[in-house]
Amino acid sequence: MKFLVNPNKFNEIADYMFKPVLFLSIILFTLGLLFSFYLSPDDYQQGSTVRIMYVHVPSAWLALLTYAIMTFYSIAALAFRIPFGFIFNTAVAPIGAVFTLICIISGSLWGKPMWGTWWVWDARLTSVAILFVIYLIIIFMNLSFENRNVREKVVAIFILVGSVNLPIVKFSVDWWNTLHQPATISKLSKPSIDPSMLTPLIIMTFAFMMIGIAIAILRIKTEIITRKTNLS
Amino acid sequence: MIIVKNLSVERLNKKIFENINLSLVSGDITILKGKNGSGKTTLLKTILNIIEPSIGSIYWKGKLLKKNLYDFYSNVTYIADKTSSLRKLTVKENINIWKRFFLANIDNTQIETALKTLKLDKYLNQKIGALSLGETKKLEFLRLIIENKKVWILDEPLSNLDEDSIELMKQTFEDHCAKEGSIIFSSHQNPGIYVTKEIEL
Amino acid sequence: MKIMKFINKIIFFYYREYKLNLSGFQDILTNIIFFFISIFIFIFSIGPDKETISLIGVGIIWTLLLLSSTLSLRKFYQDDFENGNLLIIHLNGFSLGLIAILKTFSHFLFVQVPFLLSIPIACILLNIPIDKLIYLFASFGIGSLTLSCLGSISSSMNLMNQRNFLLGSVIVMIFSVPIIIFSVGIINMEENFNSLINILFGILLIVFAINPWASGLCLKLSLENN
Repeated sequence: MKFLVNPNKFNEIADYMFKPVLFLSIILFTLGLLFSFYLSPDDYQQGSTVRIMYVHVPSAWLALLTYAIMTFYSIAALAFRIPFGFIFNTAVAPIGAVFTLICIISGSLWGKPMWGTWWVWDARLTSVAILFVIYLIIIFMNLSFENRNVREKVVAIFILVGSVNLPIVKFSVDWWNTLHQPATISKLSKPSIDPSMLTPLIIMTFAFMMIGIAIAILRIKTEIITRKTNLS
Repeated sequence: MIIVKNLSVERLNKKIFENINLSLVSGDITILKGKNGSGKTTLLKTILNIIEPSIGSIYWKGKLLKKNLYDFYSNVTYIADKTSSLRKLTVKENINIWKRFFLANIDNTQIETALKTLKLDKYLNQKIGALSLGETKKLEFLRLIIENKKVWILDEPLSNLDEDSIELMKQTFEDHCAKEGSIIFSSHQNPGIYVTKEIEL
Repeated sequence: MKIMKFINKIIFFYYREYKLNLSGFQDILTNIIFFFISIFIFIFSIGPDKETISLIGVGIIWTLLLLSSTLSLRKFYQDDFENGNLLIIHLNGFSLGLIAILKTFSHFLFVQVPFLLSIPIACILLNIPIDKLIYLFASFGIGSLTLSCLGSISSSMNLMNQRNFLLGSVIVMIFSVPIIIFSVGIINMEENFNSLINILFGILLIVFAINPWASGLCLKLSLENN
């Protein structure tokens, strides 16, 4: 597992990981889209709009997951002086932002037919919007500092401070009585979702994850090369 | 008192200097010589434990500097190559702030004579903004007397000064060394001050 | 003896801050004028209907307080950092985390307290009943100290950022969202006063605990790379 902390090892692994991951993501996407459009049933209440879930939920999960991994890498980078954490943070923040954006857009497309409005100010939606703004601030910070030494550490500190938002996003549906429905899938109990809908959801999640990893590999490699040549 | 052992500083994968050895005992005047950008300020800041060295260690009174930091800080005066006096306040107010902030037990006559020798006494009630660059620089050196500490670390103390003032600085340095103090300062020109050690960067 | 010396140093740190802020007092006054002018503009844009104004008055005050206190963020560390005073204070025996705490309180005293004092006037202008003033003061007192802590964190982060200073204000505003939600809630739900003020106080303690760590680290980075 050394390639997760060592840039050189990462480069070696990434070289022959990239194509399989990309291939896997294409297969999973075709499979997932096939499942979610043709092989899964309509909801008895929501009708066909339930299919938005297969984009909405995976992107929401991955937006949170990306931020959580960034938090772990920030701790590793600041406390244990692992510079790969800084590389990872710089490279992966835009991917998380895009996932959050997909989640927000698909959510409001889903909200219009279901709740009758594009946007409501409930706790889940607000906290996800804040998560998006935090991602944007991370990206802008990466662009606006001139000194790389300061920039990467300040961004890591900001990620750590901003991570207080994560539990708020996760538990907002449980803490407050909101319009957004509570989680239907959790580890501890049996999921309250039908297997015929669960299958495409899980396939789509893995497809999103794979495409995320593929882009992340590309971006991290670019970042490593930029640092080696001292371009920034 | 200060011992620096093969110090190297690296920034953004670029070496600034390497293998600096230095020892400073009481009565020493050390000069750091070097061109612009050779890392004089960086070395001074590394000695002050503001910049982390990549290799090497610094000792203060036989202990590692990091473990003895605030004892070191209570014995050192650092004057940077900037005007640290507050521009909106008058010279008198600035001196008062320093006097109180450093808890100096120094009487006013001493400061007045110092101001007179620096030829700053006529500006006492003027704002810092009205002073020229060299005069603010001279005002900085008043902190040396106010703080009254053993080790002086000075960054480019002689730039922007006229010949009389340089002569005055020479005198001050020698007086300080006679009182078992020690000085380390950087300069890019040859100042003509008596020094005991020289370090080329 | 050592402790007495240290306390003296802290007192004279505040003496210095007082002198500094006194010489720049027109800056603080300008902030307050900005605050009142914005209230006028709000009222003009909504229309002088008494009922509407008193309904949303507290929200307006909070928003403008936030905006006008982010205006003075640039002064938080920037001046002391650029003329080297931060280093001198540090060499005088204050750790960077302690400097962050002291500076936070000084920002609270010299920037936020004048706002607090001008709140009764704003209440009269916005038709907020005078018996609610005590709730307002409680929430503003806690909230503005939290804002000072956030300001310390964000302005220390942006010391080396020469290009995009507005980012500092954005950071403060994004983290102040929960404070605004809970403190505006206090006025509308007076029966919940105790629980809401406890939540606000909890947020303050969290931010206050993060502040010296985060600001101290950022200050160290900026000093190191200046």
